[in-house]
Amino acid sequence: MSDRIDAYANALFSVAQGEGILDEVEDELFRFARALEGSDSLRSALTDELIPAARRQSIVEDVLGGKASVTTTALLSFVVGAGRGRDLPEIIDRLVHRAAGAKNLAVAEVRSAVPLSDEQRERLAAALANATGQAVTLKVVIDPSILGGIVAQVGDTVIDGSVRSRLDQLTSRL
Amino acid sequence: MSVLSSVLAAEGAFESHHWLFPETKEIIWGGLAFVLIFGALWKFALPQFKKAFAARTERIDKELRGAADARQAAQQAATTIRSQLGDIEAERARLLADADAQAAQLLVDGRARLDAEAVELESKAAADLSVGQSRLAGEVQAEVAAIASAATRRLVSSQLDESTQHDLVEQFIVRVGASR
Repeated sequence: MSDRIDAYANALFSVAQGEGILDEVEDELFRFARALEGSDSLRSALTDELIPAARRQSIVEDVLGGKASVTTTALLSFVVGAGRGRDLPEIIDRLVHRAAGAKNLAVAEVRSAVPLSDEQRERLAAALANATGQAVTLKVVIDPSILGGIVAQVGDTVIDGSVRSRLDQLTSRL
Repeated sequence: MSVLSSVLAAEGAFESHHWLFPETKEIIWGGLAFVLIFGALWKFALPQFKKAFAARTERIDKELRGAADARQAAQQAATTIRSQLGDIEAERARLLADADAQAAQLLVDGRARLDAEAVELESKAAADLSVGQSRLAGEVQAEVAAIASAATRRLVSSQLDESTQHDLVEQFIVRVGASR
């Protein structure tokens, strides 16, 4: 199972790297994986083996709707068409970590309620590198459920500066 | 005039020397007859009379004794009845006293049991009340917390404009950058 996931991750990595758009593909795949985790209906549609592969692939293309690169769309269609939609988030996570590892970077998964500017991304990456002692590559996910602030995870370290966590703490105290 | 003198006169052999007194012969014969009759009576009638008298006396005496016995028996029965009446009265008094004592004891026991039950019920009610108060307080507290949390979340969400979001991100970056 793990070997198969690694094989798919390596294949995607090789294709993206071969196309010379590894960072772009990696980023798009990461956001798609998070969207897939957050949507039960999408996850059900892409993992239901009763739905023909062509139909599942067309769903992927409809979801992306030209918002992702052709390579990203093709890679996702390939994985979903191969019946590995259930493993897609893990395959993408392996891909992201491999890409980061190739650059000697740690993956910092950042959840923010609002989009971050490039300048904020750079300063946040520097701050996380300072805090964790290792250079990081940011993978930003827009998550309105945290209400405000940022939640960053580097490896097993979670730094929660979200408004939701403060409200949860307040609720617990109440 | 006696029968004997009349007989003698009829025979002409009797003649009185005084009209008031009988003749000597008459006296003799009369006396003799009297003696004979008396002797016969003494000999035959007197024993029968004595016997009858004795029997009657004995019967009367027997009746008297019987009456005395009956009287004594009646007195004894009366005494016994009086005694029994006294015993019955004493028994009645004892039963009444026992009944009173039992009633008093039952009353005391009942009051004690009622008091104990009342104390137990009161204690249980107090415990239930305390538990209910605690549960209610907990529920109210949880409800208030939920309402307050929801209200706070809504209030905070409404206050999170673009500027505030930017400040929150900046604060996070500064805080993370300062940590190490």
